[in-house]
Amino acid sequence: MKPIHLNKLSAILSMKWRTLLSKNFIIMPIFSLGITVVMNLVYGSLAASEGGEMNSTLRSMAAGLGALMNTAITGIACTGMALAEEKEKHTLRALMTSSVNGLEFFLGSILPAAALITAVNALIIPAAGLRLPAAGWGIWLGISLLCALASSVIGMIFGLCAKNQVTASTLTTVPMLVLVLTPTIGAFNATAEKISRFLFTGVLSNTVSALAEGTPKADLFGLSVIGAEIVLAAAVFLLVYRKNGYDPD
Amino acid sequence: MTNDCIRLEHISKRFGRTEVLKDLSAVLHRGEILGFLGPSGAGKTTAIKILTGQLKASSGEAFVLGTRVENINETIYEQIGIVTDQSGVYERLTVYANLHYFAKILRVDAARVEELLKRAGLWEHRKKPAGKLSKGQAQRLVLVRAILHRPKVLFLDEPTSGLDPSTALDIHSLLTELRDEGMAIFLTTHNMEEAARLCSHVALLNDGQIVEYGTPEELCLRYNQLKRYRVRLTDGTRLLLGQTGEDVDRLSALLREDRVASLHSCEPTLESVFLTVTGRTLQ
Repeated sequence: MKPIHLNKLSAILSMKWRTLLSKNFIIMPIFSLGITVVMNLVYGSLAASEGGEMNSTLRSMAAGLGALMNTAITGIACTGMALAEEKEKHTLRALMTSSVNGLEFFLGSILPAAALITAVNALIIPAAGLRLPAAGWGIWLGISLLCALASSVIGMIFGLCAKNQVTASTLTTVPMLVLVLTPTIGAFNATAEKISRFLFTGVLSNTVSALAEGTPKADLFGLSVIGAEIVLAAAVFLLVYRKNGYDPD
Repeated sequence: MTNDCIRLEHISKRFGRTEVLKDLSAVLHRGEILGFLGPSGAGKTTAIKILTGQLKASSGEAFVLGTRVENINETIYEQIGIVTDQSGVYERLTVYANLHYFAKILRVDAARVEELLKRAGLWEHRKKPAGKLSKGQAQRLVLVRAILHRPKVLFLDEPTSGLDPSTALDIHSLLTELRDEGMAIFLTTHNMEEAARLCSHVALLNDGQIVEYGTPEELCLRYNQLKRYRVRLTDGTRLLLGQTGEDVDRLSALLREDRVASLHSCEPTLESVFLTVTGRTLQ
């Protein structure tokens, strides 16, 4: 395993953080947070029109949709497009020939995305009007972080395969839709619900529902699913990376 | 071998059935500039990519700072600088931020960044986004980035291509200073004036093959077959004299009579040497 130099990792982390906060990328987590607020208002007005009140199920649906979009879009699209942009502008080659190694670049790319996703998922809870106990926050942040890592690694795979940002955007659309829509449709369809149990986004969605219902628990099956998907994504990433490197000629 | 900064030994490279480099051998020492001179498509960029570990040679061996190019790692990358047409800059970042980023990666202090910005004439542009720089300024930025960490070897792929003469001259004088400081510079160019002005040795590359190798003076003298002299007399008359007995007598008579205003040898330029050797021009 290649050594990690903290000066290089820290430089890449700050650059990637800056990239994620630029207007091209920050729009995605902001949109996810916005959709949570909007859906919360929509569900609230629907409930009010039927003479009822917003309940935890509706709040968890709003939070779930926002968290799914944030995790899948920010993780896959932002990470993949940021990598594709570095390839397109030839800055990745400049980095690699300036003594940055693959592992430093990989960690520098996924950690800021994972941190941003987790932070936005944390904001989604109050935005949906949910209140969590301390244990609930621990579970939510932990699951969010793991899902963010899985999604960021998947984004890196698509970034490796894409030559430029346009291709990255096209390539990431399908997995993003599958990862967001399957758990969302799962609320109404048994087959989709079964499939979503095997997706990290499904685990994320189920976690927010359980937390909203006041039954926070560490779901071992869900954790295994996320763990397996992180390992699988990392293995695929390594396979593609070993075959082509970050920026093949 | 470890005294050589770069050594190529019978390097060949094939892409499919096309052989783009054929049996290249050359050496570059400290404080020298080696120029690979050839037209577009001659294999100059491929040679740089092989030497910087970005491409694998099909056969032969190449060493950079004593390390086989297949084994180039971060330690070697910390001792070399690369400027190619694919040396991207972060367009949204300012000139200073671009350099600061790489300075952090290469453990270079801010004073060095400022010193180089001033030396390359970029100080007044330091707050400008790199995407808004002119081509010449962007090229200087890439060059400054490549020498931030005082590399032992600098690779330059057509560093002045498409630049105005004044910017090209600025870059030439910076390269000369770096060479005098002991840096080994591997330069590819199709500009024969640039090669003649800067290079300690040049390799003329045609269809992936070195067709001539030596100092620019050696090459020009080697192909100085006509051995003619342009003479301008004090009365304005122009003469073209050779080295025949009659011409020699005439020239010595003119010199004795103090009638010679200027005397120039007519050895060929690198471009005409290239044309003689390959039958094609450098453009």
